[in-house]
Amino acid sequence: MARVKLTEHKAKSLFYDFLGYSYSGVSVKTGEKIPVLSSKKTYVVKVDQGVKKRMKQGLVKLEIRNEKLEMAMKDLEKKGYEHFIIEEMLPHESDEEKYIAIERTREGMTVTYSKKGGIDIEEHRDEVKQIILNDRLEMRNGKVERELSLPMGFISKLREFCDKYYVSFLEINPIVVQNGKIHLLDLAVEVDSTAQFFVASPKTSSSIRGGLARRSLGEGGWNEDDIVSEKHKSPEEMSVAILNKKSQAALSLTLLNPNGTIWVLLSGGGASITLADEVHNLGFGKELGNYGEYSGNPNAEETYLYTCEVSALLLKSNKRRLILIIGGGVANFTDIRITFKGIIKALEKFKNKMKKRNIKIFVRRGGPHEKEGLEAMEEWLKQNKMYGLVSGPNLPLNEIVRSALKELKS
Amino acid sequence: MLNINILRKTKHSVIALGSHIPILQSMLDFEYLASHDEPSLKAIIATGRKYVRMFFGKKEVLIPVYESVLQVPPEIKNQITLFINLSSARRVLSSTVDTIDGFQKLMGGTIFAENVPEKHSIELYHYAQKKDVFIVGPASVGLLITNKLKLGAIGGTQAQQLVDSKVFIPHGNVAVFSSSGGMTNELIRLTSQAGKRVSFSLSFGGDRFPICIPVEAFLAAEKDTETTHIIYFGELGGYDEYELAYLIKNKKIKKPVLAYIAGAISDMFETPPQFGHAKAMASRGQETAQAKARALRNAGVQATNSFTEFLALVKRIPSKKIIDPVLKHEDVENRHQALFINSISHDDEDGSVKIIGENLLKLTEQPLGFIVVSMLLGRKVKSKELSQVAEFILKLLVDHGPYVSGAINTMIAARAGKDLVSSLASGLLTIGPRFGGAINQAARHWFEGVKTAVEPYVFVENLAKSRNRISGIGHRKYRIDYPDPRVKAILSFTSKLKNKKYTTFALGVEKVTTAKKGNLILNVDGAIAAVLLDILSEKEKLTSQELEELIEIEFFNALFVLSRSVGFTAHYLDQRRLDEGLFRLTPEDITYV
Repeated sequence: MARVKLTEHKAKSLFYDFLGYSYSGVSVKTGEKIPVLSSKKTYVVKVDQGVKKRMKQGLVKLEIRNEKLEMAMKDLEKKGYEHFIIEEMLPHESDEEKYIAIERTREGMTVTYSKKGGIDIEEHRDEVKQIILNDRLEMRNGKVERELSLPMGFISKLREFCDKYYVSFLEINPIVVQNGKIHLLDLAVEVDSTAQFFVASPKTSSSIRGGLARRSLGEGGWNEDDIVSEKHKSPEEMSVAILNKKSQAALSLTLLNPNGTIWVLLSGGGASITLADEVHNLGFGKELGNYGEYSGNPNAEETYLYTCEVSALLLKSNKRRLILIIGGGVANFTDIRITFKGIIKALEKFKNKMKKRNIKIFVRRGGPHEKEGLEAMEEWLKQNKMYGLVSGPNLPLNEIVRSALKELKS
Repeated sequence: MLNINILRKTKHSVIALGSHIPILQSMLDFEYLASHDEPSLKAIIATGRKYVRMFFGKKEVLIPVYESVLQVPPEIKNQITLFINLSSARRVLSSTVDTIDGFQKLMGGTIFAENVPEKHSIELYHYAQKKDVFIVGPASVGLLITNKLKLGAIGGTQAQQLVDSKVFIPHGNVAVFSSSGGMTNELIRLTSQAGKRVSFSLSFGGDRFPICIPVEAFLAAEKDTETTHIIYFGELGGYDEYELAYLIKNKKIKKPVLAYIAGAISDMFETPPQFGHAKAMASRGQETAQAKARALRNAGVQATNSFTEFLALVKRIPSKKIIDPVLKHEDVENRHQALFINSISHDDEDGSVKIIGENLLKLTEQPLGFIVVSMLLGRKVKSKELSQVAEFILKLLVDHGPYVSGAINTMIAARAGKDLVSSLASGLLTIGPRFGGAINQAARHWFEGVKTAVEPYVFVENLAKSRNRISGIGHRKYRIDYPDPRVKAILSFTSKLKNKKYTTFALGVEKVTTAKKGNLILNVDGAIAAVLLDILSEKEKLTSQELEELIEIEFFNALFVLSRSVGFTAHYLDQRRLDEGLFRLTPEDITYV
């Protein structure tokens, strides 16, 4: 897919381990038991689901004693979260907080840093500096380390870490150094999900995840279990995500408005966004129930399963009028006859419920075997009285949205 | 750097890394429809087969398959100008670097795979710059130059799609660029439907770090003598459009640009979803579709966030007078693959039978050795030495007395009243590892020995350790002090060869084995194997790989089978003439244990 966030716990395990430090943070999910921690220390409990600006949203609980941990977690669960990280509290002054981030760019790794870190980093924009690390410009002879009072060689370590684990973006805010030791109070890491093969770690069992201070935690890289799920997904979205993982082709589904009027079954990364734009530009963006697309020549079984999920979402909408747009550009190699065979099979499964809701379906698509695919679709839709429009590439791509919306307005 | 003028002028030879037949076939169909003389696809890197059969028009052509770039023979290697990488994302980096390093005349290529890691794309970006080649992709459907070149799925994979795209007029004037593969094809189609023709088109791919960046493509369009207008489909995410705006503002790009930046809908969401492509996420304000379209407009580009507006703009591009060529459309439809391919013989158009390219009647004037080995090799024998040794072997192996297993089985079948073919088959079916089949195995020994440059005594020890007997060594009757006169005669054929490395090795082995036991001499099988290997290698110039293939397909046993068929047939006819009746053993002939 693309850039995805690791859980803070995994990111810290990997990075501390890489630096040769031990790490005592604990990862806990809703329903899991909190391990017994020291009664002499206080802890920080944070939501570990890749949420930005946690402090300002109240998703961080500071100075929690062992016996209060469960209560703190319950509080955060009430806000709709399920994955947490518990760490020892590190007493420090706010002027010890520095900021450092590194991002992979075409020209090299770009380092952004500031002496004034912490949650109010944006208020000190003038302090933020940037350098690009590449082979010609060596690590600038410890310039960043000196300015931030970091141990020498930290920047090159950071760069090595990013290379080893295919990190695309890494942000430490704040980073605190006490007695020469680095503390990553808040670490956000985005990795390149396509690189999983090159860094794959054996899947960690939840018992190990919960363990304290295990040096082995950081070893062997990350895998898909370490990627955060930012929001609660519907079962239909989850099913498509699983389908996508198993498939050679690419399939995605995002629920935008559970009670939308306009539902889409789109193909092609570019065409799908063009069609969604058209809905938006014509003023119906809020009515759009979902976004998603399939591409890369899925087989009939895959488009069948995909269509079932979209249909299930559509039928859950409480709107009186419902429209489905099956749209896409002129495919280069995705077979229209085969993908449409799967779609029709799924529509057949849902046809009674769809008929009851008086759903109209609008189709525009081109590509290999488009004639057979479009003919089969037209025949089925007419037979089942769901025909809105079926068209090949002669109809401009965007026109199918206009036709569908015209129907909606009538 | 991408240079369309030069790509138009060059006669291209293409190598495919990985095999995706519909895409490759569509490239051949494109070239056929564009009236090219021959397909530009010269080789495929894949495993499991030696050729891929493809259509060029109605005719079938064979595209050779190699397991790696290193195995591509020099005559093909030296002409490759372009590559199309169809391998999986994991292998994109290594296979592309191998290709850039492996072909001197390489100008560039396209990468098809999705999900190539960012780090690998950036490495390839810098490597391509250093080596001065262009790379379109990853996750790209490729590059298309009207009537000249189709490097990828771009324009469609079915012949009908290519026809509908109208990409066969030599002077199109609209360059079409898109990050999205599907939209590239869509825009090509829309352009032709609007009555314009495409000059060239490419898809950057939807990744965050395309190797061919929009700036490179736009500069190529600016330099291209055919292109007068550029149309561009961009998406939210990334900063490519700001670089473009800069170039346009600074008059580095003067040709009119029409752009649609997709993704305005992203604005509706507090946390926007990941759209179709890897880069299609706007994490910062400048990355939104609206901001990018605005920047382009400020630079003087007709840029919009509405596809409907964009289409209207495309229609307003002035078009030249268009006369589309008549395409040989019917030749790329309803084709049937032949059931077999064959390189031995065929009926010629004049009605005569051609064998290895020679008229059958004319061929009969040649010596038998020449005809037989030419047919066995599938091509004409070049050297007298091979014809002569083959003829000698055919004569030499014709019979070795009625005592051997194959002859006995033939005779038993004949006496059981079986017909000629059944009796002969009974004898032939006896040929195997212990009887008659040793020549091929001996050839394998000598070949491996020379290939691994092992000392003969080590070779013998290794085989002894694994308790295998050495084929081509040992005789029941003849000994070191009572040599086999046939062996001497066979070996005499190598007297004029320079290296005779296989014979030398075989004799080296014999020296070791006869020191152990006097009858472990180089026998007829071993000698034939060694002499054939040497002549094939020195006189026929077969490569080590070709020799290995001959061993693999049992070429070295073929002469025995052919020759001994005469002997078996003779024994059959003999038994029928003598007509003794059914053969049967008596209890005394069998010991019961």
